[in-house]
Amino acid sequence: MGMLDAYIRRFLAVLRTEILVLPSRMAVVVFVLLLLALPLVTQDGYVLRVMILTAIFAILAASWDLLSGFTGQMNFGHALFFGVAAYVTALLNLELKFPPYLSIPLGAVGGVLTGLVVGIPCLRLKGSYLALTTLAFPIILLGLVFAFPGVTGGELGLSGLSRLTGSRTGDYYLITGLMLALGGVMWKITDSNTGIILHAIREDELAARAAGINTTRYKLLAFCLSGFFAGIAGGLYAHFLRLAGPSTLEVSLSFQVIIWAVFGGMVSIYGPIAGVFILNPLMEALRVVLERFPGLPEMRMFIFAGLVLVTLLFMPEGLVPWVRDKIETECPRCKIRNAFTRRRCRVCDAALD
Amino acid sequence: MNMDAPFLEVQDLRKSFGGLTATNDVSFSLGRREILGLIGPNGAGKTTLVRLISGILRPDSGSIKFKGQEIIGKKTWEIVNLGIAPTFQNMRPFRRLPIIANVMVSCLSPRAMKRGEWVKKVEAKAMDALEFAGISDMALEKASTLSQGDLKRLEVARAVATDPELLLLDEPFGGLSPAETDLMAKSIKRLHKGGRFGRLHSEGPAMIIIEHKLAQLMKIVDRIVVLNFGTVIASGVPEEIVRNPEVIEAYLGQGGV
Repeated sequence: MGMLDAYIRRFLAVLRTEILVLPSRMAVVVFVLLLLALPLVTQDGYVLRVMILTAIFAILAASWDLLSGFTGQMNFGHALFFGVAAYVTALLNLELKFPPYLSIPLGAVGGVLTGLVVGIPCLRLKGSYLALTTLAFPIILLGLVFAFPGVTGGELGLSGLSRLTGSRTGDYYLITGLMLALGGVMWKITDSNTGIILHAIREDELAARAAGINTTRYKLLAFCLSGFFAGIAGGLYAHFLRLAGPSTLEVSLSFQVIIWAVFGGMVSIYGPIAGVFILNPLMEALRVVLERFPGLPEMRMFIFAGLVLVTLLFMPEGLVPWVRDKIETECPRCKIRNAFTRRRCRVCDAALD
Repeated sequence: MNMDAPFLEVQDLRKSFGGLTATNDVSFSLGRREILGLIGPNGAGKTTLVRLISGILRPDSGSIKFKGQEIIGKKTWEIVNLGIAPTFQNMRPFRRLPIIANVMVSCLSPRAMKRGEWVKKVEAKAMDALEFAGISDMALEKASTLSQGDLKRLEVARAVATDPELLLLDEPFGGLSPAETDLMAKSIKRLHKGGRFGRLHSEGPAMIIIEHKLAQLMKIVDRIVVLNFGTVIASGVPEEIVRNPEVIEAYLGQGGV
């Protein structure tokens, strides 16, 4: 009893001193709790399906942020990693009968190798040139998919993969849990010393080299890490839908990823995740609402584009950083963030205005 | 590594940009403890020369031997890890990162990591580099908020944090007020003396300093090399240089310093 008591006390202390002091941290905790509680509220297959796909895309958007946001390597073909991993996972599962817990990690390894294949020739490219080159890769692969329908299933893709857990709720918890864990890992990477080097490469690559950093290695590392996480997302997608099709490689998916990330707020990991969790369910809700008005033309994409444009017009840094600046103030002296309600910094007691 | 070899030996270094020859068969050498001033009119090839040494540019021909080892063809980051730290004339900070993170990047280079095994915290070492450069009170500010003078000091702090044996300073006094210039000159001398600045260990690096503020430069350098149109026109101790008629003609103008 004494042990348990001590743990509870410790938990409450951490809650009070680390979580409740900052609105953004409270928001993260509330978000996680809501996600975990969702199946208790509804067992509706459609809702869970939408949220599962949202979680998968959240991993994808965060992995893009790691490469393009943090390291500054603008990738306009991020669907490549997703698609390659989806196909590799599908082939391993269908041809070699690998179970999901092997096929998905190996699919992610496919994503890593793809990261190297794209990363190495792109090392000397920057900015818009890099963006255009990376845009080409998934298009080339899409051509190959259609050229070898015997292996890839052509237009129809590869279907009939084994189920993940067998139940919708099980799938939901597995994929949502993985999304939270991988999001945490990605955030931790960007918060480490490696993260500082990635930032430095984005800011000024030559200056990073002049500081003795092997920027080539770190850029390839960023490509590989991003390919790995996007690959996990691709593998989960293939197993959840039990299908790996050409849509996983489409240009529209690559752009979707960028829109999610920019809308949510780049260079943060949590921004793109929030972006996906706002935009993707909203799109589905719009679909449901608009179906009630059969007379209206297809308005969904129009509304979506308008929403994103207006948001970025007023919040050029993205939604999450904007909200964060409203609910938190940075202490001018010690740079610690404080809840907007405070008049004095919680650490150094400097006046906040 | 050949111990008898000169510390740094530059031989017949030539680099052209199109029709313009920036350095034309430049040769000079540098001792382990020397501070060399590199002067010459604008466009004489000074910055090109230090960029060739730091591997940012590749020469068309010639050789650069650092402690007997040819470094032409090596990448900039490899050269930095051998112990040659470059700085940029038009400072290149990581603007959106805090000052401390700017210096931590240097502290994370393989050379600095190897030499700081007893320093657990990269931050602590970076902080000492900032302390040395005199901008530690601004450690948490974003680099984009710094003044010209503080950016110069950040540039020096970043280079120093790699534990260099040869420091290449491109106009360290450029844009500084007289008081700031004096402070920077003092820092440079202190660094050259070597020793420990908190967790930062200075080997007392040799230096090549490009500078236009000759009066201040003369006080800290052992020797001066004068470049004009990419060619070395004079080399020697400061007192000789200011009396050399060719140098006066090319650079100093009648009347000297």
